[in-house]
Amino acid sequence: MDTKTAFGKIVSIIKPFVKNTTAFGTATDGTRIIEDLGVNSARLVDIILAFEDEFGIEVDDESADRVRTLGDAVQMILQKTAPAH
Amino acid sequence: MSQALILLTYFSLEGWLRFRRYRIPARRRIRAKFAALVGDERGPLLICANHLTLIDSLVIQWALAPGWRLFVRPAWFTWNLADKHNITKNVFVRILGYLGKCVPVLRKGPPEEARHTLDKVAFLLSRGQSVLVFPEGRRSRVGRVDTENFTYGVGRIVQETPSARVLCVFARGLGQREYGNYPRPQETFFVRLKRCAPTTAFRGMRGDRDLATQIVGQLSEMEQEYFENAILDR
Repeated sequence: MDTKTAFGKIVSIIKPFVKNTTAFGTATDGTRIIEDLGVNSARLVDIILAFEDEFGIEVDDESADRVRTLGDAVQMILQKTAPAH
Repeated sequence: MSQALILLTYFSLEGWLRFRRYRIPARRRIRAKFAALVGDERGPLLICANHLTLIDSLVIQWALAPGWRLFVRPAWFTWNLADKHNITKNVFVRILGYLGKCVPVLRKGPPEEARHTLDKVAFLLSRGQSVLVFPEGRRSRVGRVDTENFTYGVGRIVQETPSARVLCVFARGLGQREYGNYPRPQETFFVRLKRCAPTTAFRGMRGDRDLATQIVGQLSEMEQEYFENAILDR
């Protein structure tokens, strides 16, 4: 999966939780999920679980804690879906 | 020494509640039910309550046990998770927070902070203490048990301390319309208790969500019963 595809899927997963729709319209890799998009921090768990379902991955607490921006989410997903060598 | 401090704190808080002319008419019945539900079993007790005002934990503590019983069973004087902002406003509330066994919680803090708080709760429970938490994570903005926007921290606590007994407490002032800082003066409170045994086949965050959903669902059911039958309890 490439970065653009992952980003697109992540954005569509996060969309229902976003409160700041203006910032969402211009979201980039550096957009912070809680601070910029206004996502309730309690809902981050739902978002992470939706990532697990969508991408067939398992996310541990430490990885989840590191997801602050959309770019962090993309990196985490690319890392976890990368084929093992 | 600690028992004396508990008594001092309890009677100060009770005195303040009485000064505000708050009432819990069914207090004796509630205390008897609490004693019956918890019984002589020692060990961790997780009390999960709905949340509408800043003093919910005081009202619940008052409802659950009289001062003399806390002297005999100090573990029944519950630890509370309180918003750090609210219990560090001035020296007076800091002291009250300390004596009232408040564990400060940094709301809207980073995930590590939330995890650190949950570790503290797990530690307290592992020492056989009782801890009062509000599974919704904040005072309900909808004036009812918020079954849509609640946090999953309570699920993590249950997963980390499977031996903890879970007691759901629904408490609400009869005149309470929505969330606020304090109940109206001379408020009369309705309090109900129910043991809860949440279980899940999931682990990790999915398990947290599943368990928290069951506990909040239980509180919501108790609230429904309240709105259907409250008049009978007065």
